[in-house]
Amino acid sequence: MLQTTRKTLLALVAGSAFAFAFGAPAAKAQDLVIGGSIPLTGVFAFAGIGIEAGMQDYIAYVNEQGGVHGRQLRLAYEDTGYQVDQSVAVFNRLTSQHDIHLYYGDSTAFSRTINPELNRMNSMIMAGASFASEINDPEAFPFQFMAGPDYTEMTNILLEYIAQETPGARVLLVNSDTEFGRDPIEGTRARAEELGLTIADVIITPPGAVDVSTEILKLRRARPDYAIFHGYILAPLPEFMSQARELGLDTKFMGTFWSMDNSIWQSVGEVADGFMGVMPYRYYFDEEEAPMLEHIRSVRPEYQSTAYIQGYLTAMLLVEAAKRTLDEGQELTAENLKAALNSIEDFDTGGLIGVPISIPGNSIPVGRVYQYDAEAERMVAVSDWINVQE
Amino acid sequence: MLIATAKESYRADQALLTNRAQWVWLGLLIAGLVLVPFGANAYWTYLACLVLINVASATGLNILTGYTGLVSLGHGAFMALGAYTVAILEQRLGTPFLLNILAGGAVAAAIGMIVGIPSLRVKGLYLAIATIGASIILQFVFLNWTSVTGGSRGINVAPATFFGTEMARPSELYWVIMPITVLMVLGAANLFRTRIGRAFIAIRDRDISAEVLGIPLLRYKLLSFAVSSFYAGVAGGMWAYMFRSVGPESFTLLTSIFFLAAIIVGGMGSILGAILGAIFMTMVPELLRFAVAFVAPFIDNAATLLAPVRTMVFGLLIILFLVFEPQGIAEIIRRIRRSWHLWPFRK
Repeated sequence: MLQTTRKTLLALVAGSAFAFAFGAPAAKAQDLVIGGSIPLTGVFAFAGIGIEAGMQDYIAYVNEQGGVHGRQLRLAYEDTGYQVDQSVAVFNRLTSQHDIHLYYGDSTAFSRTINPELNRMNSMIMAGASFASEINDPEAFPFQFMAGPDYTEMTNILLEYIAQETPGARVLLVNSDTEFGRDPIEGTRARAEELGLTIADVIITPPGAVDVSTEILKLRRARPDYAIFHGYILAPLPEFMSQARELGLDTKFMGTFWSMDNSIWQSVGEVADGFMGVMPYRYYFDEEEAPMLEHIRSVRPEYQSTAYIQGYLTAMLLVEAAKRTLDEGQELTAENLKAALNSIEDFDTGGLIGVPISIPGNSIPVGRVYQYDAEAERMVAVSDWINVQE
Repeated sequence: MLIATAKESYRADQALLTNRAQWVWLGLLIAGLVLVPFGANAYWTYLACLVLINVASATGLNILTGYTGLVSLGHGAFMALGAYTVAILEQRLGTPFLLNILAGGAVAAAIGMIVGIPSLRVKGLYLAIATIGASIILQFVFLNWTSVTGGSRGINVAPATFFGTEMARPSELYWVIMPITVLMVLGAANLFRTRIGRAFIAIRDRDISAEVLGIPLLRYKLLSFAVSSFYAGVAGGMWAYMFRSVGPESFTLLTSIFFLAAIIVGGMGSILGAILGAIFMTMVPELLRFAVAFVAPFIDNAATLLAPVRTMVFGLLIILFLVFEPQGIAEIIRRIRRSWHLWPFRK
């Protein structure tokens, strides 16, 4: 009996201690909270983990310097598993718990689903992992933006490069049969025509396809100078590249942002040599002068992924919008925040992007072409920064 | 204390609710359902809507798989049919939302009957694969019939309006989703008091015997597919109004597996089972978030470190349920009810 009472008492004490810890507000109401529906599990987890780390590091950097207008920054985020219903649940959960004015979303579907709610709330701006061309429309998505070029602008950067290197080149488009994959096809066709390039063919591969032998035959028939892949992270790129090499084709293979991480190509090895693609940011190891990259390297001595840099820069832009709004003495409404974001002109990102940037609309239409050097085991810049702002 | 329930007529024997305690519970449930939007914040109301949509859909699959014994992995595709129908009608004709949702159900039911045709020849895993085949075809149509479905980008859905008032938020949509789901669940419960429902059960238990008893298999198997797909279509329609964007990636094979798991975990061939299964599958991952939040003050970066753990715990819970309670959560409820029968006396 005595034992039971003691146990009960212990349980009560432990329970109330937990309840106190749980119930006590984790931070002051003055904190400036950045919300995040971030994929830490599921197919996009590799990016989500980097994004979260990047955002946290930038937040720590700003907090060390006293925060924004004396307010400390804080990231309130949860895992979404890259599922739109979970992303919306996380959004609802975080916005009912915290006063959020800045948000990071994880997918195009989420951006689209939450858009009417963002417009209705008029209290926050959102950026995210999606570079969908559709979102780059300030009228339809007034309170969203992306920390880089949209997918069409990415392929346009590649086309600019191709047109300079090989005028009149034949270009093959290879896209995955997903919304992500099909996104830039129309825009790429139109721009290629303007630049005098020929679209040799468009190959659509089923999502997750491993066997690409029929597509390789199409590639062989098309005999393109360049093949632009979009809608993939890695597979089936190495397969295409090795088979094309076996067939003696000298096609140059290119990709877009999400397939440009250095570590994934490092794991591919020799076959990866010569792979090119568009990068909106500098790589962790770039040696050109970039104080922010130096800071990142001092905080994290090991390689950080492109997703990390994306998260870092996105946090920087979100915070910059809030800072500018508060500088003006305005309230943190979505309209004011977006206006402040759009006032960013010739902004120095500390070298994360190699040129000063402006955000007149919903994207930053700047990027650079990098090529993988298998011997050095890293991406090497092969072009200057290309701006495709119309 | 409930000693026995004396029944004096067949009508009383078939009644859904047989004693006062059940009426009290039902009253409490209805009161709870009505009070949700008043007491809950945006997050909980959103989850309530999501649970209700999933309950409606799981109930549909339960009619087909749990009661008629026809395994289907095409349920997600039927939901997609409903969602697309709603999206297209809303976009092109702007017809009233209730009509759109019903049309979503009707289209799904019509296609469902066609998809159900192989069930006359194949059963079990073979039928499951046949339904996967059908959903692959539907998926292909959603993706490639661009002029109608919007291709890979899908269709944005305007909010449902009721006499000029927009219903865009979960707290408003709740008043659409909740009554529809309640009606559908009631409909399903009543279905099994009718000749049709009993025919379904007879087919599940032994289809050859059912045929010998004079049940036309063709008619009833296809009817079961139609009813089940109707439920999925209506649930998909409600989903479309809730998420306001329908695309080929909205409902995948995983959606179908989700609902199959829900009825297995909840308890196949039981109305309560489908409800509990849908609640379990939707709410457990969310409740595990609270567990993560609970330990967050003690661990740095808890959300990142524990996200995979949360997924694994969810998977583990499903396995444990299957091992220790193969009859599903509904059986646990039944056992609890039985143990209270003689209250306040002990057995």
